[in-house]
Amino acid sequence: MAFTSGLMPGVLCRLVSLMGIQRASASRVPACGCGGSDGFAGGGGDASPFDRETAMTETINSIANVIGWETIRTVVGLVGVLVVVVVNALVLTWAERKVSAHMQRRIGPKEVGPFGLLQPIADTVKLLAKELLTPQNVEKPLYYLAPVIVFIPVLVSFVVIPFDARLQVKDINVGLLVILAFSSLSVFSILIAGLGSNNKFSLIGSVRSIAQNIAYEIPLLLSLLSVVFMANSLSLRDIVEAQKGVWYVFSQPIAFLVFFIASVAETNRTPFDLPEAESELVAGFHTEYSGMRFALFFLAEYTNVFIVCAMTTTFFLGGYQGPILPGIVWFFVKTYLLVFVILWFRWTFPRVRFDQLLNFSWKLLIPVSFLNLIVTGGLLKL
Amino acid sequence: MVTGIIQDLKKAVAGIEASEVSYEQNGYHAAVVTQKGSLVSVAEFFNGRVFYLADLCCVDYVDYLELVYFFNHHKTLCRIKVTLKVEPEKPTAPTISHIYNIAHWYEREIHEFFGVYFEGHPNLTYLFLHEGIEYYPLRKKPTPVPEDAKKLLNSFNPEGEEDTFFVNLGPQHPSTHGVLRVVVKMDGEYILSAEPVLGYLHRMHEKMAENRSYLQFLPNPARIDYPGALLLNLAHVTTIEKLCGIEVPERAQYIRTITCELNRIASHLLWFGAFPADLGALTPFLYAFDDREQILDILENITGSRLTYCYFRFGGLYNDIDDTFIEMTKKFVKRMRERFKIYDELVTGNVIFVNRAKGTGILEQDQVHKYGCSGPIIRSTGMPFDIRKTEPYAVYDQVDFEIPTGTVGDNMDRYNVRMAEMEMSLRIVEQAIAKLPSGPFKAEKVPKKLKPPKGDIYHAVESSRGETGVYIVSDESDTPYRMRWRVPSYSNLMTFPALARGTLIADAIATLGSYDIVVPEIDR
Repeated sequence: MAFTSGLMPGVLCRLVSLMGIQRASASRVPACGCGGSDGFAGGGGDASPFDRETAMTETINSIANVIGWETIRTVVGLVGVLVVVVVNALVLTWAERKVSAHMQRRIGPKEVGPFGLLQPIADTVKLLAKELLTPQNVEKPLYYLAPVIVFIPVLVSFVVIPFDARLQVKDINVGLLVILAFSSLSVFSILIAGLGSNNKFSLIGSVRSIAQNIAYEIPLLLSLLSVVFMANSLSLRDIVEAQKGVWYVFSQPIAFLVFFIASVAETNRTPFDLPEAESELVAGFHTEYSGMRFALFFLAEYTNVFIVCAMTTTFFLGGYQGPILPGIVWFFVKTYLLVFVILWFRWTFPRVRFDQLLNFSWKLLIPVSFLNLIVTGGLLKL
Repeated sequence: MVTGIIQDLKKAVAGIEASEVSYEQNGYHAAVVTQKGSLVSVAEFFNGRVFYLADLCCVDYVDYLELVYFFNHHKTLCRIKVTLKVEPEKPTAPTISHIYNIAHWYEREIHEFFGVYFEGHPNLTYLFLHEGIEYYPLRKKPTPVPEDAKKLLNSFNPEGEEDTFFVNLGPQHPSTHGVLRVVVKMDGEYILSAEPVLGYLHRMHEKMAENRSYLQFLPNPARIDYPGALLLNLAHVTTIEKLCGIEVPERAQYIRTITCELNRIASHLLWFGAFPADLGALTPFLYAFDDREQILDILENITGSRLTYCYFRFGGLYNDIDDTFIEMTKKFVKRMRERFKIYDELVTGNVIFVNRAKGTGILEQDQVHKYGCSGPIIRSTGMPFDIRKTEPYAVYDQVDFEIPTGTVGDNMDRYNVRMAEMEMSLRIVEQAIAKLPSGPFKAEKVPKKLKPPKGDIYHAVESSRGETGVYIVSDESDTPYRMRWRVPSYSNLMTFPALARGTLIADAIATLGSYDIVVPEIDR
């Protein structure tokens, strides 16, 4: 971390030029690296032109020639992803508390820091200081494993998301498949948590979660297929580039709606929060978790929310594209607008019932997205 | 009606004594004395006439125990007291739990408090108490409990059948509104059976009443039903006024009506917040509390407390209201009408909410008399049963209001009925304020130490949850010989096992939420 934070600007410049994108102008490059909480450069300083960093860049070049650029890029990328994950979770806990408060005629946190901005940090400290309780009858390996592996799919999903024209950890030509494959893995940790907790509420919660994920994977995929038809590519960057003229939210409104609803269901947020339905299952799959283990689930949930919103932005809202402002700003503005919508859902809607949840997917979303796919295919062929 | 019923009863069942009594004095129209052999036929007779079992209690007269059954009709007012004397040593009585479902719980309650054995009762275990009780609590003479009688309902076998499992909803569970415990047997997401386990908040208010004077018991009713404290305060006060023949000035009656209706709105608002929370929507709760806060402010100004009010006194009130009260109330009525529009947009019109509430937890109208339901629960089935109309107290006969009813008796109907009731309460408050007469707010010459004449009385008021009745047996002393509280949540909750059976757990939670149960009231 110390290594990367000092060298961040230079490394980023080199990185970005390595990404093989010719189109973006050089002047926009440093801007990518200074997003603070928004960008990869968690500890990055001011935007600096190339020449001021030349000496450092050369040093890096010599190091890089030994260990290989690819390795450095992956390491820096992953560190950046981690920073985004943590900062996003902090921002979202604060945002959720503030948004919910104002929707409920309250003020929300205001004591810690200005506007209560430091509240998430205080919460984190509290959670870190808590004793890690392990209930007596849990399946220990599974119980310990679940909060750890809840993060892996989340982190991998970040790798392929293009935050800006040249800011992406890795542009894989099947990026869409990668993101779908890994995001559906998150249910795995919920299952493990439910099984390992040896608690009936947890078990019911995790079983619900599986049924829900299976039901909503299909419309998710189907609605994305029509996007793929239009963009003619599975690479996320190509999909964003294909939206240069018209965003897919306008040309594919049905697919957008289906995708967004299905992604809310995938993240287990209200009105689809059945796996952790408070009034029925106490806390669902994480009933038996406390302290930092609980916080990890919490963190994963917020990161998932961010990821589905980032996916929606990428696939339907033109990703990083927009006038005047730099692409990364546009990307985060769009993403956080969608995040706000999801928070808004949570504080407005009641929870659907289990059979209604499944019926909604199998009887409405899947046929509609199928029809949409057929119509899209037909129109494109014409 | 009463005369006809008594004649028919005498014809149908042999060996009973039945006579009409003064309703003004006793609160019931007729008294029937039965024997052990004829009790079941009497119960069957009333069941055939669609009477409901309003209350079943026991009074210990030392020489004998008297079981008191109160029957009433939901459509026509006809309160009939049926008594059965049983011996004090190892008392036994025939059960009527196969006729009236609610008798299941009443008989268990009497069994643990008095030691009466009901022959034929399927599950004569403790309802409220734990096994550490050594003497029957409500017996006048210390009577030890035999060891073999200490039976708890706790004996569930979790290793029972395959593919089923038990889940404890409560006593600490987000949806049980207090410390109700429901033992649910489940097959996957479906409920096979649900058995409420009571007694986590049992404080024996009935015994407390026997140990203090009528005045000293005054703060207790507020603790029985805390969201609707004034309404229970009124039930207690009016019963004793009726028993002692105290005339209450008209101004006090009007103020009682106004404050009670405000309290009813506050209580319904609490429910309005909690019900969507049971369905997963947490925001309405805060909105409801915002409005409830206004009522609490209004009531705090005149009563001095915010939740557990003790405002009414025998013969009047603690103090008079002032202009600020009237002004604030008028402002609140206006504000509340606007707020209902917000509520409609936020909750009533919400598709997910409607889908969750419609068609779930359906209570059939032809079943309600078996459970003795009352309040919004019974009105949601389309039965316009409201004590404020059938047996008007305070000034409910002088204000114009309707009884909102539902049609099918599902969760949505219960929701709609309560929402309409709040609007109706606003109407009552408005009218009562407009008609408010001047004059004294307290009856003169009410003795500090009340010594009511010998006799018994049953009097009920419509609390926010239904028929709240007080049965007092007086022995001319300054403490009641026996004070019995008939509470609505108790009989309403009794329908839960039947309604929950075969439904999804999510629906059962919604149904439980729609009852608006108050656990301290059930446990007393």
